[in-house]
Amino acid sequence: MRECKIVSRKFDIPGSHTLEVSKAHGGYRTLAKMDEYSPLEIIEIIRESKLRGKGGGGSPASAKWTLMPQENDKNGKSDKPSFLAVNCDESEPGTFKDRQIISKDPHLLIEGILITCYAIKAKHAYIYIRGEYKQFQDILQFAIDEAYEDGLLDHCDITVHRGAGAYICGEKSALLESMEGKRGHPRLKPKHKEPEWFFDNPILVNNVETIASVPFIIQNGADAYKAYGTEHSPGTLLFAMSGHVNNPGVYEAEYGTSMMAYINHFGGGIRNAKKLKAVIPGGASTDVLTAQEAECATLDYETLRSMKSALGTGGMIVMDEDTCMVTVLKNLLEFYHEESCGQCTPCREGTGWTDKLVGKILDKRGTKEDIEKLLEIADTMNGKTICVFAPAVATVIKSFVSKFRDEFEVAV
Amino acid sequence: MSFVFSKENLLRIETLKKRYPSPKALCLPCLWMAQHQEGYISIDAIDTISEEIGIAPMEIYGVVTFYTMFHLEPQDKLNVQVCKTLSCKLCGSDEILKHLEGKDVKISHVECLGSCGTAPVMQIDDVYYEELNPEKVDEILKSLR
Amino acid sequence: MSEEIDIVIDSKTYHAKEGSLLIDLLIKEKIKVPYFCYHESLGPDGNCRMCMVEIEGQKRPQIACDTFIEPNMEVRSTGKTIEKVRTDILELELINHPVDCPTCDQAGECSLQEYYMDYGLHEAKVSISDKVKHKKHVDLGSNVILDQERCVLCARCTRFTDKITHTHELGIIGRGDDARVSTMPGRKLDNPYAMNVVDLCPVGALTSKDFRFVQRVWFLQTVNSICHGCAKGCNIFIDHNRVKYQDDVIYRFRPRRNDEVNGFFICDEGRLSYKALQENRQETALLQGKEIREEEAIQEAQTLIQKYKDNISVVIDANLYSEEIEAILRFAKKINASVHSPLDVYIEESFKDDMLRSAHRAANYKTIEALHIDTHEPKSSGLLINFNHPQNFNAAAHIDFLTHQRDVPSLVFPIADYTENSGTLTNEDGILQKCEKAISRNLPIPTVIEILLKVKV
Ligand SMILES: Cc1cc2nc3c(=O)[nH]c(=O)nc-3n(C[C@H](O)[C@H](O)[C@H](O)COP(=O)(O)O)c2cc1C
Ligand code: SF4
Ligand code: SF4
Ligand code: SF4
Ligand code: FES
Ligand code: FES
Repeated sequence: MRECKIVSRKFDIPGSHTLEVSKAHGGYRTLAKMDEYSPLEIIEIIRESKLRGKGGGGSPASAKWTLMPQENDKNGKSDKPSFLAVNCDESEPGTFKDRQIISKDPHLLIEGILITCYAIKAKHAYIYIRGEYKQFQDILQFAIDEAYEDGLLDHCDITVHRGAGAYICGEKSALLESMEGKRGHPRLKPKHKEPEWFFDNPILVNNVETIASVPFIIQNGADAYKAYGTEHSPGTLLFAMSGHVNNPGVYEAEYGTSMMAYINHFGGGIRNAKKLKAVIPGGASTDVLTAQEAECATLDYETLRSMKSALGTGGMIVMDEDTCMVTVLKNLLEFYHEESCGQCTPCREGTGWTDKLVGKILDKRGTKEDIEKLLEIADTMNGKTICVFAPAVATVIKSFVSKFRDEFEVAV
Repeated sequence: MSFVFSKENLLRIETLKKRYPSPKALCLPCLWMAQHQEGYISIDAIDTISEEIGIAPMEIYGVVTFYTMFHLEPQDKLNVQVCKTLSCKLCGSDEILKHLEGKDVKISHVECLGSCGTAPVMQIDDVYYEELNPEKVDEILKSLR
Repeated sequence: MSEEIDIVIDSKTYHAKEGSLLIDLLIKEKIKVPYFCYHESLGPDGNCRMCMVEIEGQKRPQIACDTFIEPNMEVRSTGKTIEKVRTDILELELINHPVDCPTCDQAGECSLQEYYMDYGLHEAKVSISDKVKHKKHVDLGSNVILDQERCVLCARCTRFTDKITHTHELGIIGRGDDARVSTMPGRKLDNPYAMNVVDLCPVGALTSKDFRFVQRVWFLQTVNSICHGCAKGCNIFIDHNRVKYQDDVIYRFRPRRNDEVNGFFICDEGRLSYKALQENRQETALLQGKEIREEEAIQEAQTLIQKYKDNISVVIDANLYSEEIEAILRFAKKINASVHSPLDVYIEESFKDDMLRSAHRAANYKTIEALHIDTHEPKSSGLLINFNHPQNFNAAAHIDFLTHQRDVPSLVFPIADYTENSGTLTNEDGILQKCEKAISRNLPIPTVIEILLKVKV
């Protein structure tokens, strides 16, 4: 397997979170490029690199950057400053990669923020971090303070905004509602392409790792980035692994890597020499894969999409042969039941009801009709809500029941 | 109103106000400050924050109840928050929870802490304790007494 | 943007403004679409997901309250797909709903009940023993009671206190299926328009303490009227009912939409004014406090008018209908009396606010002004004929036409109040409005006009 350390390059260097070590290993070198390239040229390089968002959706970064107003003095937008929000809510079960960046190389993120803000003409970036990450937030804040002291942030401010325990605040519009001091309810989607809004000011929301990938691309060019990965999923991702593997953790790899090769190479295979049963490929909200499917899977958007699952955040949860899939689904539904924001009827009621139904099945009190009902509710939750939380729950339910139906039937 | 922000916090609030397009953005920061100052978020604190940032008390109350990390009551016991989500469950969080039963602590079941690679995990105050086993839990609790 | 364009709904063509909300058109054209959270006064929120329609070219059903009308739009509001979608969502809505219609005040005017009947969900398909339990009886204040279990979390009530009254007493707390409507601990719903949340609530989660369990709505008759609480002239429905052998009774006032006057709402004081209206009615003619027959009273009045000829003042209440005021003017001319309607007494600055309430607490003072009636107090005179004006004036002799009892040692005629009579009013913005007669008493009280016609002068 080809070594490719784009974002994790400095992770293993002692003191990598400090400005001194960062600079000694090439940190902030890219800032010089800002004299060389105009903002639009930066966006063009990002477009050419086909960098895709690493927060789970995988949408092309440049498309969102382009929506940010460039002409600040024409088109009546002059009085509206632009902002950047870096999404460090990281609450998708199985995902723990952004945490590595902010604690092991926060200066890489700051460098990426400076370039991104230059490109979208923003003067202030917020990092929205989940409340539980306080100890990592402190490391990040230390780095920001160092950067201020060094004059790096003379023309662009960075403020860390601490969340307080709500998975849904990772959804970009809920994140902004939360930053505006409200309950984290996702907003109705706009009808046409437009930026996100923060108190009526345009704002770009990107994941931590997306922004942390920017310096490499600007420093080395789009082609250097595209040298990794596949045609439609270029570059690398901080894939993560947890569950029944020998060496769980975060390891950067290029897109297109074989899933099993990754699990065996970095993860050291399945724990206790057991057989593999299933893998959730990219955070809890992606459809579960059976062992056979995992054998064929490669870690890129296209392949996993074609397998009717998704790459998501790249956080794989590995399960061995002894795992009870009804228990696993119950566990996930408890999570969704707890985390639904509760605005939309299908999601608010559906997450609770499916949780209770699977609970019933797990307790051997279920009937065949309950399994059918479960699938029916999943249908109702799909495609009828404000955000994609409920649809994700719906497909998760369906994937478990369809791929491991025998286990559900034995349980009733 | 009997809640007053400490001098230090007031200073932080003034600084933060300059960093956002609207003082309303200070809702979560102020709630955190209030919770640190008093150990929980009192109704008085909500009223004070309301005056400070221009969001109605009821809206702030709605916000407080939306997030899991805010408390409306003083916390008298050590709050041990054990992650019960999938990776931790696969790696033995049930055993940790069972081990904690009967101990003089508040046991909270929380959702994924973003630490799945070092499961099972628990959080006490702002600190994560990872790769737990019952013996390790005992040591940790002892050190915190 | 605001051009009128054609749009096709269920194969029929309609006209609508480009960019306007589809749900507004559906409501206006009475095309059936179930909805909870949308309300024309509050705008879309998109949370109930009930108002689904199919739009040609869109993969999935869309909510009509967040769909803007575009050229060449083709909408389907009926058909298998869309009905299935609605039934399914409704079924989820009902999981945690107690479905206790027989003991619910809203029964008969509940959207949830109406829809699940429509979509055939009345057979409790929904059987799940562990429904989420919430509080069934929360006294929110201002006569409003909340049943959290019946609530569908449409957020209409909270948006009302946020966007309309800006008083922010109500909010949603908790999240997921633990979310519920609440006030701050220890605080109450407290604003002059609070009870409108009862009308806004699409289900029986918010009910009025005033009306709770008093009457089943399907027994009530409804009549269009105008509140007489102040010069705003808010449009109301009078809900009343006459139980056999008993008198016709008003059970409540409800706001009636009029975009020019009161929009969707009325103030609580106006809403509750029906109570005082029905108390202490003057029902018979009196002479020095003793009941007399109407003919005797008319005889007495004629004698007094004869006696004080050329020394008579007439005072008119600025709440009377225009028709009544005009009849009184004609009568006054005949008996050569001076006519007055002192208006200062109606002014109550503290009542005024920037929503609806006017400082002028007289429903028809504009007509008094338009007819150039003297608004000063009458100089002391021989005979003073008072047509229900709230003040008492000095005079050698008095005739009082009263809707409600008053301590006056004079000749008193009972007259019908505004709910027992029809007529016209002009509100403070100069808008002419009509009231219908709502109440028919077993022993009718005559109107001013009826009495004046009998007085021979
Ligand atoms: C329920 C839900 C939770 C999400 N959580 C996160 C998160 O924790 N972190 C994140 O970066 N993106 C999360 N997202 C995706 C964001 O909405 C958004 O697309 C992303 O932050 C954009 O950044 P990217 O394009 O760089 O990936 C979530 C989306 C949904 C629907
Ligand atoms: S789908 Fe669920 S999480 Fe998303 S907005 Fe609706 S209720 Fe909230
Ligand atoms: S109480 Fe009524 S109006 Fe308020 S949210 Fe519940 S259902 Fe809607
Ligand atoms: S504002 Fe005036 S007219 Fe309207 S309901 Fe209140 S008292 Fe009646
Ligand atoms: S599942 Fe426990 S930290 Fe993620
Ligand atoms: S009325 Fe459209 S979603 Fe509720």
